Amino acid sequence: MLRLRLFYGLLTIILLLWSVGAAALLLMRDSVERFDRQLRVDYQVIDAAQAVRTLTTTLNTNYLPVLAGPPPTQPPSRDLYDKTKKELQEKLEIVHISVSKDARWRSVMPRLDQVFASYFEVYENYFSGNAVTPEDRGKLLQAASIQTQRLMDLSENVMTLGEEKMFSGAGRLGEDSGKNTLFVGTLVLLGTSIAVIIYFQLVRHLVDPVSTLERSIDEIRKGNFELTLPQPSQSSEFAKVIAAFNDMALELKVRRGESDENLKRANLVNAAILEAIPSPVFVLSDDTGIIQINPAAENLSERLGVTGRLPLKIQRILEECRETSAHFLPEDPREALLFRIDEEEFYYLPRIFRYDSENSTQSGWAVLLHNVSRIRWLDDMKTNLLSTVSHEIKTPLTGIRMVLHLLLEERTGKLDEMQRVMVTSANEDCERLLLTLNTLLDLSRAESGATHLDCVPISLAESVRRAAQLYSGAASSHDVTIDLELNTDGATEILVDPIRLDEVLNNLVSNAVKHSPRGGKVTLRITRPDANYVRVSVIDQGPGVPEGSQSRIFERFYRAPGQEVDGVGLGLFISREIMRAHEGRIGLLERKDDLTEFYIDVPIA
Amino acid sequence: MSPSPDSPRPGEVAKLRILVVDDEPTLRLGFAYALTGKTTSVETAATGRIALDRISAGDFDVIILDLRMPDLDGIAVIEALRSAGNTVPIILCSAALSPDSALRAIRQGVVDFLLKPVRPVDLRQVVDFVLFPENRPLPQAMKAARGGNAAEAISILEKKENPSRQAIHWLQVLKAVRDAGPGERLTHLEETVRTSLSILAFNAPTVTGK
Repeated sequence: MLRLRLFYGLLTIILLLWSVGAAALLLMRDSVERFDRQLRVDYQVIDAAQAVRTLTTTLNTNYLPVLAGPPPTQPPSRDLYDKTKKELQEKLEIVHISVSKDARWRSVMPRLDQVFASYFEVYENYFSGNAVTPEDRGKLLQAASIQTQRLMDLSENVMTLGEEKMFSGAGRLGEDSGKNTLFVGTLVLLGTSIAVIIYFQLVRHLVDPVSTLERSIDEIRKGNFELTLPQPSQSSEFAKVIAAFNDMALELKVRRGESDENLKRANLVNAAILEAIPSPVFVLSDDTGIIQINPAAENLSERLGVTGRLPLKIQRILEECRETSAHFLPEDPREALLFRIDEEEFYYLPRIFRYDSENSTQSGWAVLLHNVSRIRWLDDMKTNLLSTVSHEIKTPLTGIRMVLHLLLEERTGKLDEMQRVMVTSANEDCERLLLTLNTLLDLSRAESGATHLDCVPISLAESVRRAAQLYSGAASSHDVTIDLELNTDGATEILVDPIRLDEVLNNLVSNAVKHSPRGGKVTLRITRPDANYVRVSVIDQGPGVPEGSQSRIFERFYRAPGQEVDGVGLGLFISREIMRAHEGRIGLLERKDDLTEFYIDVPIA
Repeated sequence: MSPSPDSPRPGEVAKLRILVVDDEPTLRLGFAYALTGKTTSVETAATGRIALDRISAGDFDVIILDLRMPDLDGIAVIEALRSAGNTVPIILCSAALSPDSALRAIRQGVVDFLLKPVRPVDLRQVVDFVLFPENRPLPQAMKAARGGNAAEAISILEKKENPSRQAIHWLQVLKAVRDAGPGERLTHLEETVRTSLSILAFNAPTVTGK
């Protein structure tokens, strides 16, 4: 167990630390004690020597001056001498006990004993009272001073030796502390080596597995799921981690296998779908390099002689899409592009789709070319058929109508009541049939006509004035006034097909006049809603467009319910087609203040 | 019953002679009856060839010409007449006027188009419009154009104040035809003309009908 090992290792270090500390403390106290003891002993010697000198001086001062004079009548008292002698002997004893065994002391000590003996002998003589003569007394005094002098010298000697011994004692203590340092140093070295051992153990058991793990994770990140880590001994905490890691690697390997399978299947499905689609499909990267292409697209680009590339026309549209990052998904076959292949005309409707993964790492374009040649052909056929049929019907109808009108004019003779009723009825049917026919023709015109524009720069105010002028007659017969609010925005230059724009304006003004109440007012106003457009508003005071119809009024053939005024419901549809072709806008604003406002926005050139 | 208008009526002194060319018998009949009056006599022709024969046989003041006919169509008749130096006013009357034919007609000085179905009143008015142009800019310009003087027509229309829609369209088309030059094909103009055909065509001034 790694944790246990760590614990033991650190415990050893701590124990060592403690023992080093304790040893140091003990050694220090021991030295201090020894030094103290030594100091005391040595000092006793010095003290004793000093005392010897003091005591002898006391004795000499007390007893010897008598010797200079005649012998006293009374013998001197021995009391002081005996007491002092005893003290001196004690001091000598102390010196004896304290002295060490070295040679100098050994030479000093017998001499000291001898001097003491001599000194006491002098005083014994003194007290014996034998020296009565001045001569004897002089000799005795001399002997006493000689012995005192020797004693003084020797005690001086002892003091010196004692001091020396004190110093040598300090030196010994120094030697002892050197030994202590060695001991503590050894302990520290031991601790250090144990720490080093623990370090290497830690590295081996803790750091190495972690870095191996890190390297393996790196490998897996690079996609190498094959590796497994060697299983360490069961006791290591890393055993679980390694096992978990190996499990993970295995799981990843399995998963990758699965996703590889899925990817393969998805690719197959994709390829099958692409092959099955009859329309050419190009899948492009973000920089328009071709990633994938289906057989139809290969075929097309080959026949167009642009193998491996997008046809130029589509490349251009794609560039526009890339600038705006928007899809291009037209529905109208009229927006199809013409390609000539072997003298034959083909119409392809380009549908450009931008794909983008959530984190934007994968993005690009899918281009599908929808072949609408047949739709276009059918459309043309329909238009042609429509105009042919209506012509074929119109011609005889014209004759019938002419005849009916002539009969009703009664130029060839009076009609009786019954004949008049019948001819009138036939004439009404004829008119209805004509209306239906014209509607059909208008429709085919609206669908085929709004694509081509002959744009020239014009002033919008002029067009508005013209529309107002055109309907001034109709307006006054309705008792409606037309107001013009043309400010400087009307002079903004716009690039439009004036005939088409007139058609739109006329339609709006005509509607406004038709729906105005008697005595009402129609306002034509030019404004600038934003920087890109100039707007013409046509405002009337009529009842407005019913709620439910507002979203449908621009549909073909749509007529708001309850309309009395004539029309087939194509005017706004055609107007919208025209505005769309101009890249402009047409719309109905929300009704407010009982005013209905239709507007067109014309892009500014 | 009145006599068939297919044959001339020698007894009458006709001031204005009108030729109606149409392959539809009812229309010929109707047109003839509608136009025949005290000051007019109407003759009819069923095909382009018969019409050319009739025209070469006698002077007509105005010809009402159908566009689609079996042998020679209206445009062919116009071009045949003009190449023979005949500048008789022609009213082109058709149910489906194509931009191409309209442009070809305009080049030959045929600027009066009548769109079928027509009412008798339209017919009479267009004849009056052609034969007795009022002293207003548009009729005068049309008269100039009819006489082959497109430049004058353009200048009259350009001078006009508050031009009507019809005037604007005519000015535009006449200019375009002039700028194109005589020999050139006018394909690029067809789209422009297609939408304005109904405006270029003759519209009875009394729009209110009856």
